[in-house]
Amino acid sequence: MSSLRLLASAARRAPAALSLGRRGYAEASDKINLTLVLPHQPIFTSADVVQVNICAATGDMGILANHVPSIEPLRPGVVEVVESSGSKKWFVSGGFATVHPGNKLTVNVVEAAPLEDFSAEAIRTNLQEALRVASGSGSEEDKLEARIEADVYEALQHAISK
Amino acid sequence: MLARRTLARAPPALSGTAPGNARNMATLREIELRLKSVKNIEKITKSMQMIASTKLAKAQRAMVAGKQYGVANSEVFAHSTSPSSTSNKLFIVISSDKGLCGGIHSSVTKATRRAFAGATDSPLLNEDKKAVDIDSASPIMVIGDKSKAQLSRSMSGNMRMTFNQIGRDVPTFADAAGVTDLVIKSGVPHDSVVIVYNKFVSAISYEPAAIEVRGEAGLKESEGFKAYEMEDDFTKDLAEFSLANAIYSALVEAHACEISARRNAMDNASKNAKDMIGSLQMQYNRGRQAAITNELVDIITGASAL
Repeated sequence: MSSLRLLASAARRAPAALSLGRRGYAEASDKINLTLVLPHQPIFTSADVVQVNICAATGDMGILANHVPSIEPLRPGVVEVVESSGSKKWFVSGGFATVHPGNKLTVNVVEAAPLEDFSAEAIRTNLQEALRVASGSGSEEDKLEARIEADVYEALQHAISK
Repeated sequence: MLARRTLARAPPALSGTAPGNARNMATLREIELRLKSVKNIEKITKSMQMIASTKLAKAQRAMVAGKQYGVANSEVFAHSTSPSSTSNKLFIVISSDKGLCGGIHSSVTKATRRAFAGATDSPLLNEDKKAVDIDSASPIMVIGDKSKAQLSRSMSGNMRMTFNQIGRDVPTFADAAGVTDLVIKSGVPHDSVVIVYNKFVSAISYEPAAIEVRGEAGLKESEGFKAYEMEDDFTKDLAEFSLANAIYSALVEAHACEISARRNAMDNASKNAKDMIGSLQMQYNRGRQAAITNELVDIITGASAL
């Protein structure tokens, strides 16, 4: 009786172990299909990557293969793409990241540049300028625009100081 | 006798120019003037063609990038189709302010009219290749003065807003964002936006096409869209951002079409001018020769009369 139960439980366990083994072999399903595009330049088009770290409006998150479909607005910050050969970082100004059914991730951003291309000096002067306008005596709209600008520069400064 | 023979030999086509030296000179002068102006026109069309050719490479590069951006953007719409197509559509027709580029503007204008008429070759088809029924009072917004002039002739009642000064150079995302901002601020009620633009087929051909971008409400009621997880409700932001992206993608593609159409149109115009110059030059030379022959005849008849 107990041997029969053992057999039954072994049989129940077997398919799970098998499928686990199969998942280990299929390299492709460990990667997510990434499309990262700017209006004027595509950065990744349907490339298979290991992981993508994004700074969503609700918090930073990492996206691996077979993520649930979701829509995440991006705030100004760093997008890191981890490929099997290494990782690369971009600073993006904002946009949307969408994980689609079928292991696909599309990221539409308005502007992005590699993190190493930024000059700390330029960021500092522009940040000061933006802060000056934000606290100045312009119209409400101008001030708000400058506030957003300053936020982007602060995020940028934070990103390159890391 | 000699005179009679020469006169008889003169080609019948030029018989009109034959009588009277003064008149002959006048027509010669006219032909010369026409020749000169056609040559000038050829210079202009040729330089316009050269300009379009150099701009084309840049426009095409921008189009390739913009198209990929648009494809990535429309992915979410491809996954969230809804069985009931929304009836309240807002049309945005994309053309530009400048002419001299073939039928690029009337192509989108005609496509818009076909969509409204529900013709079988309407750019807006549903899944089973049937034209979508469109309310004849649907609002239209036009980017570019050329299509505005064409559409306001027959559909002036539907026009809500027009834009110009876009598409002089390769459109930027800021252009698209500005248009989207004004479209949203205009408060024209709509459930979805249909963008009618010229699709780039090859360097020598284009065809009108339409893409539909669903609004916030349209997305929310779609089954496929519910599969997506969202921490907060970003549907409105997403719908607005997607509209800007779709407009940008359509703008750059339409721009590339326009430049390539202009290059072709100017190429044809230069060729036609060249043909015209050839035939005018021939006519001029014949006329000149006839005038000389006539003068000779006069001199010889005068001499033989002595």
